[in-house]
Amino acid sequence: MEQNQGQGQVIVITSGKGGVGKTTTAANVSTSLASMGYKVVVLDLDIGLKKLDLILGLENRVIYDIVQVIEGECTLKQALVKDKRFPHLYMLPAAQTRNKDEITPEQVIELCDQLKPEFDFIFVDSPAGIEQGFKNAIAAAQRALVITNPEVSAVRDADRIIGMLESANLNDIQLVVNRIRPDMVKADNMLSVEDLVEHLCIELIGVVPEDSNVIISTNKGEPIILNEHSSAAKAFHNIAQRIAGQQVEITNFEEDTSFWHRIRNIFGGR
Amino acid sequence: MLDLLKKLYNRESSSSRTQANNRLRLVLTHDRIGASNELMETLKEEIMEVIKKHVDVEGTPEVTLISQGRQSALDINIPLKGR
Repeated sequence: MEQNQGQGQVIVITSGKGGVGKTTTAANVSTSLASMGYKVVVLDLDIGLKKLDLILGLENRVIYDIVQVIEGECTLKQALVKDKRFPHLYMLPAAQTRNKDEITPEQVIELCDQLKPEFDFIFVDSPAGIEQGFKNAIAAAQRALVITNPEVSAVRDADRIIGMLESANLNDIQLVVNRIRPDMVKADNMLSVEDLVEHLCIELIGVVPEDSNVIISTNKGEPIILNEHSSAAKAFHNIAQRIAGQQVEITNFEEDTSFWHRIRNIFGGR
Repeated sequence: MLDLLKKLYNRESSSSRTQANNRLRLVLTHDRIGASNELMETLKEEIMEVIKKHVDVEGTPEVTLISQGRQSALDINIPLKGR
């Protein structure tokens, strides 16, 4: 394991469109990195619409929030919520009754500067949209993960976001394709991973298949990483490994090994 | 019977995936440079005015947006009249 000597990497998780899986990705990739032994903190910057605490199953442990830290009502250390299941994982919750324009990009940079010496990875969970909340979320980031779904509106918004990241001189951008359905791609009824990479022209870091285990885990407040039968869990773990610099092949979930597919292959059909 | 097999196995060009790709290609190219269809028409008309001042044009000129990666370019195709 390569420990970052006192300078954690700040990674923003963003998408433009809402509901594509930003928070799920933030929660699971950070959990996975923490289980690998890295010190990880996740910041919820979706102020006013917080959800990271709920996805991580830490909602009952929240005392202070990020706005209170910034306004000096509590210390950063007091506000950080430690995940008892993963000793290296911490979360900084968003405020639920405040607005996104109550904090500034400069304050986020200052906050991340305080966290960098303590952590290997600092994930910033961005709100949907391209307004102030997005600008706050990308302010301190050195790297961006853009999450999209194989769906036209999500791809269009992702493209807009990539343009905005590049304008902000954030050029280390990688793509996560979430909720792909290999059966639908096979039937030519869904955009494929290759299609998405071709449209968005950025490097791919992971492909997460549609997996009902994600809903089940979220219901329970358990990270899906703990479910070893889940294909999504495997995909999130692979993303974490790549973020940590390991060379892991991206699993191609489009490889159909179903009975009918094999039969069709035997008869030379496609 | 043959038609049925064709339907089953032929990946037709009008599949919803192909349509999604074509629609995306168009909107993304326009989104990236902030161009609308009207702007393309205006561009075409004004470019033609300038060209016509100096040379004779024949046939239908074409002004289209092409993109490679995240870069876009205007592709202007104006057939000229020979002497």
